[in-house]
Amino acid sequence: MTKEINKLVDHLFRHESGKLIAVLTNVFGPDQLELVEDVVQDSLVKAMRNWPYHGIPQNPSGWLYRVAKNEAINILKQGRIKQRRTVDPAFLERIQEESLVDEFLFSEKEIKDDQLRMIFTCCHPVITSDSQIALALKTLCGFSIAEISRAFLTPAENINKRLVRARQALRSHKVPFAVPVGPELPLRLKAVLDTIYLLFSEGYHASSGDQLIRFDLVEEAMRLGKLLLDHPAIAPKQSIHALLALIQLNASRFAARQNADGDIITLEHQDRSLWNKAWIDQGLIHLQQSEPHRFLSKYHILAIISSYHCTAPTFEQTNWVGILREYNRFLSVDNSEVVQLNRSIALAKVEGAQAAIDTLVGLTTLENYHLYHSILGEFHIELHRWTAAIKALEKAESLASLDKEKALVRARIEYCIKKSGN
Amino acid sequence: MKDYLLIIKTEGSVWSDLSPEELQRHMEHGHAYIGELMQSGKLKNANPIDKGSRVVVEEKGVMKDGPFNESKEVVAGYFHITVADMEEAVAIAKANPIFKDIPTRIEVHPMMPVGGN
Repeated sequence: MTKEINKLVDHLFRHESGKLIAVLTNVFGPDQLELVEDVVQDSLVKAMRNWPYHGIPQNPSGWLYRVAKNEAINILKQGRIKQRRTVDPAFLERIQEESLVDEFLFSEKEIKDDQLRMIFTCCHPVITSDSQIALALKTLCGFSIAEISRAFLTPAENINKRLVRARQALRSHKVPFAVPVGPELPLRLKAVLDTIYLLFSEGYHASSGDQLIRFDLVEEAMRLGKLLLDHPAIAPKQSIHALLALIQLNASRFAARQNADGDIITLEHQDRSLWNKAWIDQGLIHLQQSEPHRFLSKYHILAIISSYHCTAPTFEQTNWVGILREYNRFLSVDNSEVVQLNRSIALAKVEGAQAAIDTLVGLTTLENYHLYHSILGEFHIELHRWTAAIKALEKAESLASLDKEKALVRARIEYCIKKSGN
Repeated sequence: MKDYLLIIKTEGSVWSDLSPEELQRHMEHGHAYIGELMQSGKLKNANPIDKGSRVVVEEKGVMKDGPFNESKEVVAGYFHITVADMEEAVAIAKANPIFKDIPTRIEVHPMMPVGGN
């Protein structure tokens, strides 16, 4: 029994799981995804049971590949897979030669190619978007059903149903394990970026769920974006840069958004020294490379807005005129009421709270959205209309789902009551 | 000093529901625990038990062997340790980080010394 002092890098199992699932899906085909997921899980379990006793191997990834590959070969040899249409006959022939088994290793390039194929497979339009996200997290990012459920505060059975539907869609539509080429690529790339954005957005904006796991979602979104960016076959790069800029600039504020007790801290009151400077810098570089003067996408605009926030020394010194201009551009791409709500904050800074309130009247789809009423309440506070503010904030309080959100609103209501009494 | 055999028993399929992240954490905890035991010189031997156990019995003079029912409880591994007394052996068993992650039972058996007690 030997004992090495090897330490594993953080998230090694999670990331190796994603890589292994990708390379094995290329062998078995997307219709055998569940089998592949089981093989990979078994390999990780073997490592978990073996390494504490026998030491962490010099090359942990190599160990996992070997074990997963042997298990996969056993399955193929035993004919335990019903449909072999996706398995390359040459590969099957090759694995019959025992001597070749040990030489068969996946190269870094093959792994990257397969991960890319996996991204496009998970984000295939035949899968609904909530199932796409669940599938990407399960297969590419190595999250368990329980972890996805914790991140989204959604019951595990619902997550499982989404995964089952996703795998069914892959089977019934015979989705190929391939990166689209030609004119199809930009369209499919857009769908992939949308899914990564949603993944990020769920992690970043959701006011519910486990904080730690949600930070992991943000990191995963970043990792998937970088995989796309680094791969020469994927173009155009500008929108990928824009998405990465948006993710990194926003994520830089993650640690400042809550205090040690988990209380929510709004942008205005955040300690800006807690913002991650390295991520801001990287985000700004991505923003520059996204060529925002030549391209207009919602990711470009959101990244620019975020860059104004990230580079402002104080909340008051934020370039609200610039932010308002970007929101005006945003409305030409997406004039949804949520965008109008976000725009109203910048508008209030530039033209005053009354102008902002005027644009919010009649946004009926936001009637049950707690932030709509919170923001409205804040505008009334600026205008010293305490009764109207209290009314809006009480509505927000009743709609907020989380205790921490309710507490934040309650504090503002108390403030209004105190003010109106004077 | 006395020798003890620690037999770790778990449910058969507990691992399949753990996430890669949890498996890694679990592995690292186990690694540190066993590493410490080795360093202290108290660990003589330890091994995880693989799948595929069989049971051998003799019935009416006929030797039979069959699969071990792994669905309920399996032997996950064993430790052979040398410590002062049963109390210390039990303390070592209790310190096993496996308890934090999955339902586990550890049996602590005193081993009979070569010369008898």
